[in-house]
Parts: sequence; C-alpha cells; structure tokens
Amino acid sequence: MIGLWSVPLLFALPLALGILTLLATPAWRPRLSLAGLPLLLAASAAAFLDLALSGPGIYRLGDWPAPLGINLNVDGLSAGMVVMTAVVAALCAAYARSYLRDYPASASFFWPLFWFLWAGMNGIWLAEDIFNLYVGLEVMGLAAVGMVALRATPQALAAAMRYLLAALLGSLAYLLGVALLYGAYGTLSMAGLQHVAADNPTTQVALALIILGLLLKTALFPLHAWLPPAHGGALTPVSALLSALVVKGSFYILLRLWLVLGPEVTPAFTAQLLGVLGAGAVFYGGWMAWRQHLLKQLVAYSTVAQIGYLFLFFPLVTGTGAEAARLAWDGTMMMLVAHALAKAALFLSAGNLILAVGSSQIGHLVGISRFRPLSLFSFGLAGVSLMGLPPSGGFTGKWLLLHSAILSGQWWWLIVLFLGGLLSAAYIFKVFRMSFREGPQIDRSVPPPLTMDVAAMILAASAIVIGLTAHLPLHWLRAGALLGGG
Amino acid sequence: MSLRAGLAGLLCLGVTLALGWAVLERPQPAENLPERVAGAMPDSGVEHAVTAVLLNFRSYDTLLEIAVLLLAVVVALALREAQPDRPEPMGLENPLLRAVMAWLLPLILVVAGFLLWAGSYQPGGAFQAGSVLAAAGVLLRLAGVTTAWLDNAALMRTGLALGLLTFLGIGVVVMAPGVPFLAYPPEYAGTLILVIELTLTLSIGLTLISLFRLTPPYADDPDDARSDREARP
Repeated sequence: MIGLWSVPLLFALPLALGILTLLATPAWRPRLSLAGLPLLLAASAAAFLDLALSGPGIYRLGDWPAPLGINLNVDGLSAGMVVMTAVVAALCAAYARSYLRDYPASASFFWPLFWFLWAGMNGIWLAEDIFNLYVGLEVMGLAAVGMVALRATPQALAAAMRYLLAALLGSLAYLLGVALLYGAYGTLSMAGLQHVAADNPTTQVALALIILGLLLKTALFPLHAWLPPAHGGALTPVSALLSALVVKGSFYILLRLWLVLGPEVTPAFTAQLLGVLGAGAVFYGGWMAWRQHLLKQLVAYSTVAQIGYLFLFFPLVTGTGAEAARLAWDGTMMMLVAHALAKAALFLSAGNLILAVGSSQIGHLVGISRFRPLSLFSFGLAGVSLMGLPPSGGFTGKWLLLHSAILSGQWWWLIVLFLGGLLSAAYIFKVFRMSFREGPQIDRSVPPPLTMDVAAMILAASAIVIGLTAHLPLHWLRAGALLGGG
Repeated sequence: MSLRAGLAGLLCLGVTLALGWAVLERPQPAENLPERVAGAMPDSGVEHAVTAVLLNFRSYDTLLEIAVLLLAVVVALALREAQPDRPEPMGLENPLLRAVMAWLLPLILVVAGFLLWAGSYQPGGAFQAGSVLAAAGVLLRLAGVTTAWLDNAALMRTGLALGLLTFLGIGVVVMAPGVPFLAYPPEYAGTLILVIELTLTLSIGLTLISLFRLTPPYADDPDDARSDREARP
C-alpha cells in the first residue's frame, strides 16, 4: 500500500501549486510550475505503482464510510487516466513555458489555471461519488474556459463565452440528474447506486438529463458547435490540453455511469443511438476538418470526429457477449489514450508550424517540408495514429473495435471505422500536400525553440509506441473494471 | 426567430413535465442518510448537521467548491489585466450613502461575525458570513471610500487564497498519524473547523468583493465598448 498516501496528493499538490503560482510574480510562475512538475509526476507514478502492487482500492476521505463521506476510487481506469494526464500535461507545460514568452503578461495567468485544471481532472478520474464528480467538472470546466479566454481578443472572448454557456448548461443538466437520483435512492456513491438503482421513471429521467448534459460537455455531434472556436482559437498549449484531456473528462463520467446504471434502466435503442451520433461525429467532423483553411481549426474539427469513435463503445458493450464487450472496452481505452497523445502532438506541432511560417493559413505552409522537417514529422506521426495506420495506438484501438463489431454481429460499425479512417487521411494529407509543394528556395521560416519541437515529438512518438506495446497499458486499464476480462 | 422561440418553449415544457413525472414517481430511498449523519454527529466537532456535512463528512466537496470560487477570481484577474487601463469611477456622488455607511458598517461586521459563530449550532457559517462581509465591501465601493489595502495586489491575493490554503494545509497536516486526508482527530475537530470557517469567511468575502471590483468600468456603454474594441491590437 505504498501509494495510498499519494492519492490525496494528486489533487492537493496541483491545488497548492495553483495558489503558489497565483501569489508569485509573473516571472516566477513558469519557474515554480516547472519545479512542481516532477513532484506531481512522482505522485502519479506512486498511485500507479500502488495499483500495480496491491490492486484496486478505495480511499476514504476524512475516514468516513461511503454514503456519509466521500470515497475515492483507485482502479485501473482511474490510475491510467491519472498517468495519461500527467504525461500529456507535463509535456504541454514544458511547451507552454517557451510558447508563452511571446504573449502579454496576462498570459502568465496560464499557470494558476493550468494547475487548477490538473486538480479538477485528477478529481474527476478518482471520484466515486456523483456529486463530487459535479464539483470536479466545475473545477475543470471553469479553468478550461479561463484558459480559452487568456488570449483576450474579441474572438477568443466570444469563443470562451460560448464555451462557458455550453459547459454550464451541461453541468446543470447533470446536476439535475444527480439531485433526482439522490432524492430517489438517498445515496451519491456509485457503488451504492449500482446496488439500489432500479428501472423506474425517476432513474430514466435522471439518466437522460445526465447523458444529455455530458454529451454537450463532450461536444458529441450535433452538440459540438462550441468546440472548434474554443479549441482552435485558444493559445496552442491550451488547445492541446483541452482537446487531449478536457473533453475526455465528461466522456469518462458518462462511461462510468453507463456501466453502473445504463444497460439496466435505459431503453434498448439508447446505446445504438449513442453509436449513431458517434458515427455522425466521425463523418461530419472529418468532412468539416477537410474543408478548413486554418490549420488549428482543422485539428479542432478532427477532435469532433475522433470523439465519435469513443461512442461506439456504447452499442458494442450493451447487450453483447462477454468477449465482444471486453474487446470494445480495450478498443475504447486504446482510442482514448492514443487520441490524447496524438491530438496533443498534433496541436503542438501545428503550433510549431504556425510559428515557423508566421501564419495560421494552411495555404502558407508551401515548401515548409524542406526547412522544418522535424515539426512536420511530429505532425505526420500524430496523423498516422489518427488515421489508424499500423503500428500506432489508433490502429490498435480501431482493430479491437472492429473485432468487437464483428463478434457482436454489428457490421455497420465497420463502415464507420473504415470511412472515418479515409476521411482522417484526407485532412492530414491536405496539410502534407501543401507542405511538400515546391515553394520559396530561401528559408524564411522562424525556427521554434527546441523544447517545443521535442515536446511535440515525444507525444507523437508515444502515440505510435503505445500501439506496439498495447497489451501492457490495456492490462492495467482493465484492473478492477466493472465488465469483462477483470 | 418565432420558430426558435416556439421550439425552445416546447423543449422547456417537455423538460418540466419530465421532471414533474420523475419527482412524483420517485421511490422511497432505501438509504436513510439523515439517520447516519445524526449517528456520526458526536464525532463531528460541531452541533449543526449542515455544518458537519459541509466541513467534516463531505469536506472534500467544500474544498473543491472553494477552489471553484478562487478560480473565478483568477479568470477575472486575467481578463481585467488584459483590458487597457482607464480611470475607474470612484463611487456614486451621494453624501447620504456615506453617512448611512458609517452607521451600517459596524452592524454588518457584527452580523457577519455572528453568522460565522452561529454556524456551529444553527444555520449559518462561512458562506453566509462571507456574503455579508462582501456586501459591506460593495457598499464601501459604491460610497467611494478609498481603501488602500484593497488595491494592494499582493495583500489581496493572499487574502483570496488564504481560505483554500488553510483548508488544504489542515487537510494534509492531519494525515501525519497515518489517517486519510481531512480526517480531523475528533477532539480537535471543533477547533479546526472554526479555523477553517474563519479563513473561509475572509476569502469568500474578498472573492465576492473582487468579482465586483474587477468588472471593467463603463462596459455597459455601447459607444465605449466600440472604442474599446478598436483600441485593442
């Protein structure tokens, strides 16, 4: 049990660093943050080690038992998310340190917001209590909105406002559902609800509100309109954090609650409907990404598309056999982690390319392959995972989903996986076609700082490597899972 | 537009009906949480159930809620700093308000102190006391009373963060004997909760005052908003 003391550190440390960076002068904020990164990485590693050595466990905050107090849940999924967050956030922080030098002093508020965001995300991964999840959602959501607004241009403020309204509507719908469940069952603990929740109108209305609220927060098609301006218009490290991690927060809650309540109380078509919306997201997001003229907008629409794949989880685990459900679980986990790594890499390398040519237009990338091959290579590697080409994490994830779809006889999802991959290839190659075209013979591009290229490269390479060693992360993510494989 | 309004109206009606149905049809809870709270009250360190739930049984939720409040001010600070500086209005030209304030201010402070103290045995506590404190700050601002310490950025930020910092610090320190985060020893629970509530009152009050003060001046004037947009790079 070496890691149990590390569990509260996962949110206490980032909160403390958030306060410290708020109190420090702007010049000290990045320094303090870089000093804090190893501490939080160590705490995340300790939590993971604890899971590996002593298995899933429960942490009782304040030493009160569950319906009275709040439990934290350390299982494979939550520890995996904690580690994924640590890796992506640490690399984004290293990138942000160099990137923010060119931005006005108000951008130094990035650091307190960054730490609060991390605390909120870790709070969500560990939560076992549906009201506590709401508070975690608020911490994460408000920090994310603040980060979008940091640029302080009229467009950024408008995007942040739109994001805020969508996020608030989503969390209020979620909270209404929580209130109904609490009124009906007298407990907020997920384990408790799993025991007592029954199929009745209250549970159904509550779950419908919760699902709708979380879909809006996850930006699932057709509720995605707030995402592209917010993710595409933010400062580049913010875009990466938002697309890679923040949208996963609400999806994660949906997944957990579905496993607790979903199949028993929802009508049979709900899971299929979620899958159909996911398919719509894959097609519409991919098509819109291909049509964009601004590089970061293209990447943002790619997020809309990639979110769609995660929702194939619901039809593939509901009412299918144990083996199909296990494959769907593994595939979704792989897609989730691989997308986090690849999307962060894609945004960071897009930021490097934009910095190099001094323009966010895709058309201005002409000839850049000759001068900035490293930035372009990271973009390409990340693209390989998004397209689902072997041996990337994206490929492994899609392969597992494909097997699950065949096993459960739902062949129609194969079309989504196949056409979605083609669409991703279309928008990734749109960027490549431009950059390989012969352009000016003289290098007028500005070299981005080495840290920024390296951060993007590490993330992109991880998205590939995780596909090669998929059995290890999948083994850990399955520990203590509520379904199949155990 | 009327079509959109009609659709929105239908949607609202649908949600209301669904909510009504869900509430009317709700089952009797199998779990009796109030009974459990009553059973654990002797160990909570306070005599009022709401305070016990907020600051002991479910103190982690409250900790994160305080973080949300601080976060709101951080975002406001960042946005305010990104705005161009301009002279701020120094309150209303109203001598009567100043005269009334001289009478009201001591009363407001006493009420805030009472609400904070009352929280341990009857409805009250840090959130209510903090809001009353904030009302005093807002009135002072409207009366145009200059308060140098409110304009001292470092002091202000320390005050804003004090509540969360104390809460977090106590949560970590009590872990020393090998108990979980925020598990107060029963014999000190009352004192620790009082210390947390005291600092929370101050920070909540300052948070609400800051949100009021950080509003950019003249933002409601459309002409001014336009020139503001043009002035930005």
